[in-house]
Amino acid sequence: MTEKKLKIALAGNANVGKSVIFNQLTGLHQHIGNWPGKTVEKAEGTLHFKGYTVDIIDLPGIYSLSTFSLEEIVSREYIVDEKPDLVINVVDASALERNLFFTLQLLELETPLIIALNQIDMAEKKGIKIDLKRLEEKLGVSVVPTIAIKGKGIYELLEKAVEVIEKGAAKPSVISYGEEIEERIRRLTEALGKIRLKYPARWTVIKLLEGDEQVKKEIYDLSPEILQTAENLAREIEEIHGHPCPTVVVSERYEVAGKIAREVQRILPRIKPQLGERLHEVTTHRVLGYPIMILIVLGIFNVIFVFGGYMSEFLNGLLYGYEPLFEQLFGLNPLKEIIWGGIIEGVIANITIALPYIIPFYLILYILEDSGYLARAAFLTDTLMHKMGLHGKAFIPLMLGYGCNVPACLGCRIMETERERLLTGFVVTLIPCAARTIVILGLVGSFLGFYWALTLYVIDLIIVFLLGELAFKVLPGEPTALIMEMPDYRLPHFKTVIKQTWFRLEEFLKISFPLIIVSGLIIKLAEIFNLLEPISRFLNPVTVTWLGLPEITGVTLIFGILRKELTLVILATLLGTTNFQEVLTPLQIFVFTLVVMLYVPCVATIAACSKEFGRKKAAMISLLEIILAISVGGLAYRILATLNLLEH
Amino acid sequence: MLTLEVVEMELPLTALREGESGVITSIRAGFGWGKGGGYGLQKRLMDMGLTPGTKITVVKSAPFHGPIEINVRGYRLAIGRGMAEKILVEVQK
Ligand SMILES: Nc1nc2c(ncn2[C@@H]2O[C@H](COP(=O)(O)OP(=O)(O)OP(=O)(O)O)[C@@H](O)[C@H]2O)c(=O)[nH]1
Ligand SMILES: [Mg+2]
Repeated sequence: MTEKKLKIALAGNANVGKSVIFNQLTGLHQHIGNWPGKTVEKAEGTLHFKGYTVDIIDLPGIYSLSTFSLEEIVSREYIVDEKPDLVINVVDASALERNLFFTLQLLELETPLIIALNQIDMAEKKGIKIDLKRLEEKLGVSVVPTIAIKGKGIYELLEKAVEVIEKGAAKPSVISYGEEIEERIRRLTEALGKIRLKYPARWTVIKLLEGDEQVKKEIYDLSPEILQTAENLAREIEEIHGHPCPTVVVSERYEVAGKIAREVQRILPRIKPQLGERLHEVTTHRVLGYPIMILIVLGIFNVIFVFGGYMSEFLNGLLYGYEPLFEQLFGLNPLKEIIWGGIIEGVIANITIALPYIIPFYLILYILEDSGYLARAAFLTDTLMHKMGLHGKAFIPLMLGYGCNVPACLGCRIMETERERLLTGFVVTLIPCAARTIVILGLVGSFLGFYWALTLYVIDLIIVFLLGELAFKVLPGEPTALIMEMPDYRLPHFKTVIKQTWFRLEEFLKISFPLIIVSGLIIKLAEIFNLLEPISRFLNPVTVTWLGLPEITGVTLIFGILRKELTLVILATLLGTTNFQEVLTPLQIFVFTLVVMLYVPCVATIAACSKEFGRKKAAMISLLEIILAISVGGLAYRILATLNLLEH
Repeated sequence: MLTLEVVEMELPLTALREGESGVITSIRAGFGWGKGGGYGLQKRLMDMGLTPGTKITVVKSAPFHGPIEINVRGYRLAIGRGMAEKILVEVQK
């Protein structure tokens, strides 16, 4: 017997918990965090329930079923075109009014619907109590209370969803607008006559009055006269109300949402301000906000540096201790050379250099993301971002870039225009990701000290800023204004934090270990057949003459394009030690790391860039960054040598 | 004879001090996405609850010509200053 298939979509405002519910239902791991706009593309997962195969679809968060932004288009197209069997409208109980505004639009679209009233714990903290029965009555749809992050109500939600699909949804309430609008809706519906788009008639008519470009275009293709009628009717409404018709429609819908919200919820104002409120005040304070931001960033790097350095040394001693034992087993022959030098040394280098830094790094970055701080950082940096022709929201992908450039490139979609997405994407690829941090801390940090590592980050920020400004000159245009919801601070959920960190780590391990083993083998073989020399020699003018590095670094830089931490791992493999001091001068260590930090993003990032911005732009960004890295590296080499700041 | 009158003034949102409230009268943004506003952004603002007649409270105003934090319909919203200048509110003084 084949199971019956069902399609259920999760839709709702941004940051309400859709992806948490999706992960709970499907066991997959969509990106979650406490800032609006994480999910930018729809994601699918399946589960089996009561003899059904259920496809669950996670949609980007939106505030309205319009078609102005990418997220809106993705979500609306899915709901309208794919016609899921049911939409679960995830609603944030702590901001009921705004969420209901979206719910009302789903009702107008006549999609089969149930509501997951999520985050009731957060609502309770704010003193908000919601009468579920009343809400169900008002809307005519089932409401299931959930605390998604703790898994509460998820099973009931699924049960209710299937039940509603089986029985057919109850007739949802019809929202009525003011008489002036209703009359025109009637007239326009008459004019529409038998003409049908893929939407219900009432929705089509309302969207026409709301000035929806998509619907207007579709109607125009069928019957330009109806569009004319719609425009006339809209003008009548404008004359009566003194506001443009779309404004009137939206206002009245909000009025309905507000009325329902007031009728179903009771708010007991808190006497004592909550801790989260206080934190919000301090972290966005006009004076304190900035030093706090700098302290947070410095604190993070310091913790990672200290912890990572300690762990790295510990693991190093532990793992290299096995070499003599290995030698005894295999003896000193070429096979040992290949296995130890090619595979094991690479693996050890990865474990001792990469893991100690990457684990605390992911962990802390994720805690920061899930607390809600990123939205505050965006608020504080809005003015700065304007200098690059962007606005504060661009700071979020930038921060994510420190973790990994790939999701950060996707994250650029929270920017409103094509131009802003490209500008943000460009600066994001200049941000030293976790892999580059491994090189910075593992090489410069370990051998030259914390402050030299910090210097690299500062140089990077200055370059990001200057290039951002320059790019703004090349791609001029007024920056769009910042419009961003600032969610409440949350205590990061321990289990979720660990889980998300683990998934990222798993991804890292799955890609990096095979890559390291294969590259290690290739290099060892190339070494045996004397292939490395010609390559290194070819790059000699750049590496040796211009950058003052040992010739062999040419090979590592090539492999580094695959993954940035490979530069270090391969360097260790080639030099046969992770004590880089023995083979590189401090100045060489610094210049090498500087170049690694800046030259082309890794292949995965280039791929993400070309997916988001097109191949040509991705190639241009890569080329530009190679030139940048080499120029800056050479300059730094000459300046530092002249000033005699680092031994050479 | 002296009559005490409630003076209603229409001001841009940026003229409000921290903690002051006003009722939105209109949003003066042009059309198109660019030019620091535009219809897309105006629509976004309305979809997020900033419709004429809505009461909003200015919570905070960031320094260096930065954005403004407001409280609207029970949640917290950050709006860039350029956009905030185009939101007109009526204040009762
Ligand atoms: N306290 C609490 N937090 C929750 C609950 N559900 C979700 N969260 C948190 O809310 C935040 C947003 O959750 P997501 O699932 O990423 O939200 P989303 O709706 O997918 O957001 P976008 O993809 O940005 O539209 C995360 O920080 C979650 O940990 C809940 O029931 N209670
Ligand atoms: Mg999501």
